[in-house]
Amino acid sequence: MDHKPHVPVWDIPTRLFHWSVVLLLCVSWVSADQGYMRVHLVSGLTLLSLLLFRIAWGLVGSTTARFSNFLHPPRRVMGYLKGLAGGDRIFYAGHNPAGGLMVLALIAVLLAQVATGLFANDGVRFHGPLALLVSEDVSTRLTDIHGLIFDLILILVWCHVVAVGFYLLVKGENLIRPMVTGKKHRAHLPAELNIAFTRLYIALLLLAVSAGVAAWIMIQGESIL
Amino acid sequence: MTGSSISGRHSGHLSAAAYFGCVALLTLAGVGLAMLARPAFGHDMLQWIGLESVPQAQAASFYALRVAPLFETRCAACHGEKRQKSDLRLDSFANLLRGGKHGAVIRPGDVKNSELAARISLPASDDRAMPPSGKTPLTEDEKTVIKLWIAHGASGSLHDIAGAPKPVIEVEIPKLDPAAVEKQRAPLAVQVHRLQDQFPGVIAYEAQDSADLEINASLKGGAFGDTDMQALAPLAARIVRADLSGTAVTDASAPVLAAMVKLKSLRLSGTRTGDMTVHALEQTKALRSLAVVDTAVTAGALAPFRARGVTVYGDGDGP
Repeated sequence: MDHKPHVPVWDIPTRLFHWSVVLLLCVSWVSADQGYMRVHLVSGLTLLSLLLFRIAWGLVGSTTARFSNFLHPPRRVMGYLKGLAGGDRIFYAGHNPAGGLMVLALIAVLLAQVATGLFANDGVRFHGPLALLVSEDVSTRLTDIHGLIFDLILILVWCHVVAVGFYLLVKGENLIRPMVTGKKHRAHLPAELNIAFTRLYIALLLLAVSAGVAAWIMIQGESIL
Repeated sequence: MTGSSISGRHSGHLSAAAYFGCVALLTLAGVGLAMLARPAFGHDMLQWIGLESVPQAQAASFYALRVAPLFETRCAACHGEKRQKSDLRLDSFANLLRGGKHGAVIRPGDVKNSELAARISLPASDDRAMPPSGKTPLTEDEKTVIKLWIAHGASGSLHDIAGAPKPVIEVEIPKLDPAAVEKQRAPLAVQVHRLQDQFPGVIAYEAQDSADLEINASLKGGAFGDTDMQALAPLAARIVRADLSGTAVTDASAPVLAAMVKLKSLRLSGTRTGDMTVHALEQTKALRSLAVVDTAVTAGALAPFRARGVTVYGDGDGP
């Protein structure tokens, strides 16, 4: 058995996904705010590809990337949070039960954001690729929802950052570094590790398919014009 | 995968209470900053707690009468109660002066640096033009009205601005409904047609959307007399104007004239009519104008008409 102090827990696709989402959220925010709608469109479609990829990766990816690994029944999550408040130091190789819930929430909300964005219009001269499939009234309502979900995203991101800060400053566990390097210190891992990493070419294949789906949606939209 | 549990002291630098206290402060500060970044919010709060008065425009001001309606019809769909693109609302005097996400859109007295004036002046092809392409654009006069108002201090009390284009009053012209007109005319149509053939140029409909008639026999002169009037009797109830000036009509036509219950204008000048005819018209309530120059009508017979406001031509001093 290998006894190096740092052990790989996050695979490259999961880490790239995480930081890409961070980047794309910033790009989407700024581009929408400044009215660079072409940039916003590309950013949104890229985010859509990545989300589709992440869902697939959550089914067939590496152990720590799988939904089955980090999604727990609510009672378990509550139990974990109670333990946390009580000062328990429970370590997970991947996402802890609360973090898993955060992943699910973020993916769901981002997916809803991308979906409404596809049908949105800016009331002036830009509209999402699928906006012409629905009436102007529906498109405008979805645009309003698109704006509301953005606020929800900000709230979730803030919760996420606060939680990471909590682990770093209160619990003394740096969760950021492993999301960059992929490795966690043995002291912050359960005694028994059993992580299987899925091969990278499968990730590339899934990403290609996801990007294809996003591109297809885009082309469908263009063909309406 | 199960987690391993180690109970014991915290290994971080902060207690949970301290950390979440800081988080709460940061959250409040962040929310505060985000809200302040929207200029509307600060003003809303100050006005709500009464530290700032809400700017009001006077009801009869140039703003209320000339400027506000333009914003209401051309801008408020996107910059109003329902939607606030770029956090900008143009649906009230206070909101207008407040500006949007990128600050004030109007600088009173300074058209050049007023974003709103600049945007409405851009050619429609410009991405930043307002209203955007596809929406009803402002007319040149409307742009001038807005810019003049800004140039004169974007006032809510100023009443008149010299040189402002005259307001356009929109008048709706009722659509002509030929079928409805035809239906109205139908009961007498055959008779009207027959009599028009019999008296060319004498009988005409008052207007293309009316079933009422005008008769003008003045060009016939002496060739038009009481028998001819008798022939027109079936149309009497429809006649609103009758010019019999210089014809051979006498008091014998009085009953036919009396039957013209809708008659508004009657010209009898130069005919051999007299008081009997005028008396017969006393029940014609619609009458507004009566010409009896060079007739046998007396002033006494005309008095009741003058009394009820009918314009009378001729003083009733006989032929």
